[in-house]
Amino acid sequence: MRIENSLNWKVGGAAGEGIMTTGLIFSKVVARHGWQVFDYTEYPSLITGGHNTYQVYAQTNFASSQAKILDVLVAMDKNTLGLHLDELSDQSIILYDSQDDKIKIDEYAGLKGKKVDLPMVSLAQQAGGTRLMANNVALGASIYLLGLDLGVLNGVISDIFGRKGEEVVKENQAAAKAGYDFVMNSVGSPLMTVAKNEGKNYLTMTGNEAVSLGAIAGGLQLYAAYPMTPSSSILHTLAAKASEADIVVKHAEDEIGVINMAIGASFAGVRAACGSSGGGFAYMTEALGLAGVAEVPLVVFESMRPGPALGMPTWTAQGDLQFILTASQDEFPRFVLTPGDATESFHMTRLAFELAEKYQTLVIVVLDKHLSESRYTMTLDVTEFKNERHGFAQAPALDSVGFYPRYEVTESGVHERSIPGQVGGNYIANSYEHDKYGFATEEGWVRVEQMDKRNKKFEMMKREILPPYIEDNGGEITLVGFGSTKGALQAGRELLDKEGIKVNILNVSWMWPFPIQAVTDFLNKGVPFAIVEGNSTGQFANVLRQETGLTTEYHFRKYDGRPFYPHEIFEFVKNTLQK
Amino acid sequence: MNQLPTKYPYLPTWCPGCGNFGIMNAIKMAILKSGIPREKFVVVYDIGCAGNMADFLDLYGFHGLHGRALPPAAGIKLANHDLKVIVVIGDGGCYGEGATHFINLMRGNHDITVLVHDNHRYSLTTGQMSPTTDQGTKTKSTPEGALEVPMKPLALAVSNHATFIAREFSGNIPQLSMRIGQAIAHEGFSLIDTLQICSVYNPTQDLKWYKEHTVGLEMIGHDPSDKAAAWARAMEEDKLPVGLFYQEKRPAYHQLVSELQSATLLNHDKSVVKMDELLNEYR
Repeated sequence: MRIENSLNWKVGGAAGEGIMTTGLIFSKVVARHGWQVFDYTEYPSLITGGHNTYQVYAQTNFASSQAKILDVLVAMDKNTLGLHLDELSDQSIILYDSQDDKIKIDEYAGLKGKKVDLPMVSLAQQAGGTRLMANNVALGASIYLLGLDLGVLNGVISDIFGRKGEEVVKENQAAAKAGYDFVMNSVGSPLMTVAKNEGKNYLTMTGNEAVSLGAIAGGLQLYAAYPMTPSSSILHTLAAKASEADIVVKHAEDEIGVINMAIGASFAGVRAACGSSGGGFAYMTEALGLAGVAEVPLVVFESMRPGPALGMPTWTAQGDLQFILTASQDEFPRFVLTPGDATESFHMTRLAFELAEKYQTLVIVVLDKHLSESRYTMTLDVTEFKNERHGFAQAPALDSVGFYPRYEVTESGVHERSIPGQVGGNYIANSYEHDKYGFATEEGWVRVEQMDKRNKKFEMMKREILPPYIEDNGGEITLVGFGSTKGALQAGRELLDKEGIKVNILNVSWMWPFPIQAVTDFLNKGVPFAIVEGNSTGQFANVLRQETGLTTEYHFRKYDGRPFYPHEIFEFVKNTLQK
Repeated sequence: MNQLPTKYPYLPTWCPGCGNFGIMNAIKMAILKSGIPREKFVVVYDIGCAGNMADFLDLYGFHGLHGRALPPAAGIKLANHDLKVIVVIGDGGCYGEGATHFINLMRGNHDITVLVHDNHRYSLTTGQMSPTTDQGTKTKSTPEGALEVPMKPLALAVSNHATFIAREFSGNIPQLSMRIGQAIAHEGFSLIDTLQICSVYNPTQDLKWYKEHTVGLEMIGHDPSDKAAAWARAMEEDKLPVGLFYQEKRPAYHQLVSELQSATLLNHDKSVVKMDELLNEYR
């Protein structure tokens, strides 16, 4: 089941040993050959110790998922040798350092593949570097084995370590060269040759980075957050870019403070967002209703992880879906977007800010650990983005009672808003039900009028729906998913295709208002469909039935914290078709 | 008949004799006296009797969630630091439900004026104990008497780096108004803990009680730049000192945010965002 012109590389080691940086460097080297990469990381919720891995799956023209069987496994510590036995084949190469890690390789029964004893630490030291540069020896060796260009590695090293000075760059490059030469002499010819795909200038970024950049492109002005894995790197990315992007980023006291602060800022006229994972999002729930009733534009990122409660912090899940769709007291219209990869994350987040402002309501952008922290390959056709502002009264006027009727009923349900500082714009943004000026009311008819006004917006919001990702391959079965499942479905389709089995794909990246028409049209074609989702009770299946009446007997549900693998999709489809 | 009220803002719905009347009048006088245009003020109201003032003032208002008035106030100030932001909140919301916001925004010296209507009860929910209720006080939720000792919000504020800390009494409107004026002018986190009568749910602490149990700081001699003295005064129990406990000049939060040096965040133009440079790291 190996895809031609692909490579699958993994480095493992203890947390704190620079595993993530090593992986990122390797990934950049491959991407700069014009190949597409998909990087997948696993790590426990620990600061030091614990087992970290960084995996790079790459293909000449398309990569959307990690794959299981490795071409090269780099063991930066002893542990790594024992923890990945089922990811190796007889063709795999394992790089390890018997000297430094005191490894007797014969003791590892069941370790398949060619074991290459690479004295990483001593080669790094001989090359004039420190023991930390052993990672570069492993990189140099990997580059040789997979037929990549050492010059490209040197370029990436220089980009990443450049600010530490020329000396550091040279030492790292020398260590890489030592590793490269060592395996050239000890192993002989490389496993493969990666031909450069000239002219492909890919960007690679994680879902969280794509969301962050999409937000900046969408005119984000204030981001407030409280750290929670796996959403934290949105906060880190935006904080790191704050100065360059000219935005304000606030790590506030808790998630309740975070969302209320963002709502306040938005009320005052800036584009604001906040983000968290399931637990922190649960804290935010009361304020979601505040954004809804006061009609304050707000973008919220929710990156899911397994729960309930603390669950498994560094693993993936799609179990918050139904909670997200209704989280709040009572009802108000909202958008829920579930991008499937980094490209969709970028564009949909940018759009989220426009939608929030246009409809003066809440937009939730949903990710999960797999999307948030995996690195995707993408391109951007344009890098300059125009942002129109929506719904601001240019010259608000007080009416006869001395207030601005900011919540007056309109045909669309949206009324222009004033912002504090504007003469003639006085009104109250109110968490209580209110009349057209924002004054609290308990009158039944006013309540109904304002509920109807807000609900009216939903009809307009439906016109914004973007269609799902659809592949009509004339398949025997259609695989249906949402969010990050997209990549595994695509990679699974590729494996099935090699066996002559055709499948269609429908992945929902715009969850709410639900794309009833597009989904119904495609699933009603008489082809059986299967729902692939990352929770135990079939929450997406529930939503699908609720919105379209469509049901299926074929389900693939995974809730062990691990993402879907292409070979699992392959086996699931084969088993399903045999029934 | 489906008709809206004819008079806006509404007439106050507070009980006769409620301290909120005095506080509201003091706010109105302070705003008038400040000479700052009315549209530059935003009042963020918490939930409770005090928060209901949202319907009685004609200013830009934000009536938030219970205990959560401080974060939107800080958000508004970050979005547009040309605005003057006042928080109207009760002792329950500020010192109880939302205490984490109170503690953290004060040490950030966010430039907001926090007026705590401190009547030592949750009055809108019919008189349960609050964080400032005296130990042993019988209320609906503590029929055998409150077991906790009361919070000392001013001492907390002194030790936790608020830069303007005062206590006033709702019955002394001229002095309260003067203090609110000072707090509005102060660049940084200002707290005025306003002792307030609730004649319905806390009849014991009435006008007479407050007259007997308060003393003006200027009467006993106090230097508001002396932090240690401010803390000692804030810990006093028999006679509650009233006046300015502490004030210091320290940059406000927004004055330290590098991105806000050139203009208010509201005036940062995002109509065209160029991403080329930002994307370099991802190549």
